[in-house]
Amino acid sequence: MTELLLQALYSGLLQGCSYALIALGLALVFGAMKVINLAHGELVLLAAYVAYTLESGFGLGPVAAIPAALAVTCVASAGVYGVLRRIRQDREINSLILTFGIGVILTNLMLLVWKADVRSTSSSWLQDAVVLGPFYSMRSELLFAVLAVVLLAALWWWLARSWHGRALRAVASDRDAAALMGIQPGRVELLSFLVSGALAAFAGVALYSYGVIQPAYGGALTVKAFVITVLAGVGSIPGVLLGALLLGVCEALTVTMASSALQELAGMALFLLVLFVLPNGLLGTARRRG
Amino acid sequence: MTDPKTPHTSPTSRAADGSRASHTSHGTHAFRAPLRALTWAGCLAVVYLLVPLLLGDYHYVMSLVVAALVIACVALSWALLGNLGGMVSFGHSAFFGVGAYVSALLTTKAGLPVPLGMALGGAGAVLAGVVMLPVLRLRGPYFALAILACAHILRIVATEWRGVTGGAAGIANIPVLPAMFGLAAGSKTVAYLLMLTIVLLFAWIYHRVRASHYGLALRAMHDSEDATRVVGVNSTLLKGAMLLLSAFMAGVAGAFNAHYINFLEPDYAFNSVWITVPIVAAIFGGYRTIAGPVIGALVVFLLDQLLFKALMPTGHQLVLGALLVAMMVVSPSGLLPLLRRRGARHA
Repeated sequence: MTELLLQALYSGLLQGCSYALIALGLALVFGAMKVINLAHGELVLLAAYVAYTLESGFGLGPVAAIPAALAVTCVASAGVYGVLRRIRQDREINSLILTFGIGVILTNLMLLVWKADVRSTSSSWLQDAVVLGPFYSMRSELLFAVLAVVLLAALWWWLARSWHGRALRAVASDRDAAALMGIQPGRVELLSFLVSGALAAFAGVALYSYGVIQPAYGGALTVKAFVITVLAGVGSIPGVLLGALLLGVCEALTVTMASSALQELAGMALFLLVLFVLPNGLLGTARRRG
Repeated sequence: MTDPKTPHTSPTSRAADGSRASHTSHGTHAFRAPLRALTWAGCLAVVYLLVPLLLGDYHYVMSLVVAALVIACVALSWALLGNLGGMVSFGHSAFFGVGAYVSALLTTKAGLPVPLGMALGGAGAVLAGVVMLPVLRLRGPYFALAILACAHILRIVATEWRGVTGGAAGIANIPVLPAMFGLAAGSKTVAYLLMLTIVLLFAWIYHRVRASHYGLALRAMHDSEDATRVVGVNSTLLKGAMLLLSAFMAGVAGAFNAHYINFLEPDYAFNSVWITVPIVAAIFGGYRTIAGPVIGALVVFLLDQLLFKALMPTGHQLVLGALLVAMMVVSPSGLLPLLRRRGARHA
């Protein structure tokens, strides 16, 4: 039993790293613009389908598909921003409905192009088992968990140290004051969407490498990303990792100890619990939400 | 109109504006009152008599119209919460599904008559709303997605609680709608007349609430909740009441639908369709008006089913998404206010 639990813990941690990759883009845009991009899950899925197309059509492995996926999701993400910036009044609510609509468009576009079938990678190298001591995992899980941590650290460094990262944080805390300091808020916000799109590309390729994809999954991915963002607390990059690991472990333990049908229930319960008990998330700064 | 720098004066000034506006409009409307009553009577005659007589034999069209009315009811319920309560919900499928399940279970297992079952279905949705009341502490995206989380949880409960709900296999042989208006039980025309009455009744309730002083307080809250609390309005109580009223409407729509199609399963009852299409409909028609969501639902759903579905069998909701995005960019307040603005400019 202990071995089973430890294995579940290990799988949960790896799964959590991939979840962090999915949530990072959403959390970045939320931190920068106070906008929840409800189409983020669909962007991730779009990248996964680009990887699928390149693999089934041209025989390229998922890892080789990353540049193409990056191009597609960055363009799509910039497109989302292009529409979003035209909303002037009631931005919090209207942007929610707008991105919800974009999500519906993308889901149906993917349904139209790639049909409703469930797809997964045929690369056996990625799906091979890797044994680390007593723990088993797929090679792709391990690979993308490492990549997730690296990207997370890079993003954290970028936000904390680089000029653009500082500009982004300045715009997030006070848009008008940042504009007076010579920052162009529009450009910085576009940049946050581009980075978010790039992160979605990695997340999508990772998703395709270790799991299955279907056009209807986008909404569920968005919800997962939002749950993690809430767990993290607004504006905390390490919080995203912590929240994602927590969600991954909770789900893995639920599957091992109860049933896989209750996997989603664990995430939702955790989400509601944190909303009511820890209003600022695990590592967020104090902020009014209700 | 509202100056962001002086939020404390805006609710009261808006209230004063509102009362003055309604006062002057009463004056001009005094001459038009008979005309208006006549128009209403004409419209009612058309929808109650002409539509069943003309379309009664076309079962497919009639079934689409009934489905559109179900969507209209959910859209009205969503718009009520959005307009009066100021809350955007992505989880109305929760209330729809609970209403459907409660009514289906009470009529199949406890043998209750269908009308009572439908009313209790609405009550069941209200009960679900009471359980969800803590979400009122949240705002904006937090509220919208917390309610979605509740909907997910309820769907899982409906799937896993096999002893009561029949699990993923669902419930079959749900009693049909009773004989009414001198028509046979379970006929499309009965369904149409019943749902039409429900939608009109709910629209009337919505109108009464909006016109009452609670409606005034809720409108003031939309401008500044803090300022409204200061003048002695219990905003949480009012928002809670709107959530429950909205839940009741969606629950009755779900209960009606269960008896109309006679079959229920978790993935159908809690399907995201019950929230996507109503949102598009309400935004398209104008969610701050009462007629907007209803007209929007009829237009959007019928166009979707008759035109878009014929043009592209898979992914036809693409057009709905595009419509939603276009509306948010061009006119977030919806088509009816847009037309009215255009009309005013031409006059």
